[in-house]
Amino acid sequence: MTKTADIVVIGGGVNGLSCAYNLAKRGVKNIVVLEKGYIGVGSTGRCGAGVRQQWGLEENIILARESVKIFENLSGELGFNTFFRQGGYLILITDEHEHEIVAGTLPLQNRLGVPTRLLDTKEIAELVPGLNLDGVIAAAFCPTDGFCYPYAVLWGYAEAARRRGVTIEVNTEVINVEARADGTYTVSTGTTAYQTPVVVNMAGAKTKDIAAYLGITIPTQPFRHEIAVTEPLKPFLDPMVISLKKGFYFSQSIRGEIVGGIGDEHEPSSYQTGSSPEFLLRYAKAIRDTFPALGKARIIRQWAGLYDVSPDARPILGGVDGKPGYFHACGFSGHGFMLSPVVARLMSELITTGCTSIPIDGLNLARFDGGPVTKDPYVVG
Amino acid sequence: MAKTILCHCEDIEIDELYSALEQGYGDLETLKRYTGIGTGKCQGKCCIVQTLRLLASLQTSHTRESMMGDPDLIHLPTIRPPVLPMRIDDIADMEEDTP
Ligand SMILES: Cc1cc2nc3c(=O)[nH]c(=O)nc-3n(C[C@H](O)[C@H](O)[C@H](O)COP(=O)(O)OP(=O)(O)OC[C@H]3O[C@@H](n4cnc5c(N)ncnc54)[C@H](O)[C@@H]3O)c2cc1C
Repeated sequence: MTKTADIVVIGGGVNGLSCAYNLAKRGVKNIVVLEKGYIGVGSTGRCGAGVRQQWGLEENIILARESVKIFENLSGELGFNTFFRQGGYLILITDEHEHEIVAGTLPLQNRLGVPTRLLDTKEIAELVPGLNLDGVIAAAFCPTDGFCYPYAVLWGYAEAARRRGVTIEVNTEVINVEARADGTYTVSTGTTAYQTPVVVNMAGAKTKDIAAYLGITIPTQPFRHEIAVTEPLKPFLDPMVISLKKGFYFSQSIRGEIVGGIGDEHEPSSYQTGSSPEFLLRYAKAIRDTFPALGKARIIRQWAGLYDVSPDARPILGGVDGKPGYFHACGFSGHGFMLSPVVARLMSELITTGCTSIPIDGLNLARFDGGPVTKDPYVVG
Repeated sequence: MAKTILCHCEDIEIDELYSALEQGYGDLETLKRYTGIGTGKCQGKCCIVQTLRLLASLQTSHTRESMMGDPDLIHLPTIRPPVLPMRIDDIADMEEDTP
């Protein structure tokens, strides 16, 4: 069967759905989202949904700050409770080198309007009683950081997009994309060929496979990241607690569960998302070290998802020279949930007007053709 | 009216399942995350099969077609470790190199 669309979005994760919603809001009519599984089956449904503005590079700070502004009003805008809770992010600092990096970027964050401040151990103990402060020399705290329930954000965008006429096809895998002689594209699923002038490729860790159909090479790599949750506990923990150096994070969800994970620098690149006992052991040790009383809490479930990692751990956004009507957003390197509101806004601006209200040229694919790229020191795991 | 509890750990009534279905949340993976069924201490050992049985017996007209997909999509969700809840202390005390 052949169908036509004004825009086909590939991927029903947070980026694809929020982009489809923003495009519809900007007046695009016939938008189709194709998702191979159920909504959230990719990284979004497996993520910690943490939202932070504490970054080292100016561009990252600005994007995250703009995202937080959108998250603050998103429940109202979508008519769906996203459970966004701004308990802040507490970044524990355990050595001088880390102190230098974090303290060094605070003036930049503050100048850009992000209210991060440095806490001494006494202030940390007041904010989060129960933390083991042995070896902790300070912490950076931004009270307007926070987290959501990722599925609520997905469903909220999906419902709001549908109300604006967007068609979302689940259990529908894209198996080919072809450029046609007239400059449009054919996006094929097993049963339907969509003819469309605009393809938006937001297939998470599979974005590069979709791009490959069009001869576009995207240098991202998938890495498994594991995560676990405890039984629900009485609310006691406001901020998300993280360590850049040790690569762990944990927070208490609205339901009271402690949700967290820890990276593994030895994890090879792969698409596998199985669970490992090694992770559980590493995570349990890190949590008990950091918050001894949590040793009594019971872990009820662990799972894993993929980080789509780019060479500089920053997203790849925009179009590709010589492929008018083709756009992608990927390479979020473990931070694609927090950036999705602003990414959706900017990508929908780019797609409908050709320019963006915040420059994203520095995040285009072509940056990897040239010399070395700059990595942000605030990458976790 | 009597209440029928579907998921004991999370205290979820059968009516909550029906209401989720009416809102279009039709497949098990989504129902689990929308209602909380199967996400409590027993991790679905008691309620998931009951939920599946209900889904299989319901008219598909109950749900939005696009979410329901074909009957093959009614399957057990992935069983995640640990099989029983485990204390963080007990995990942290385990030997690193046990096979
Ligand atoms: C354990 C873990 C914790 C994380 N924690 C955080 C966090 O705290 N904060 C944060 O900001 N980020 C976090 N992330 C990263 C975040 O999850 C991702 O960056 C983000 O969800 C990416 O969203 P997306 O929409 O781009 O991709 P996805 O959510 O992966 O969506 C892409 C979709 O495309 C679909 N798809 C793929 N191929 C095809 C095809 N051929 N046809 C049709 N559909 C297709 C997939 O099924 C998928 O649903 C975490 C990730 C993991 C794994």
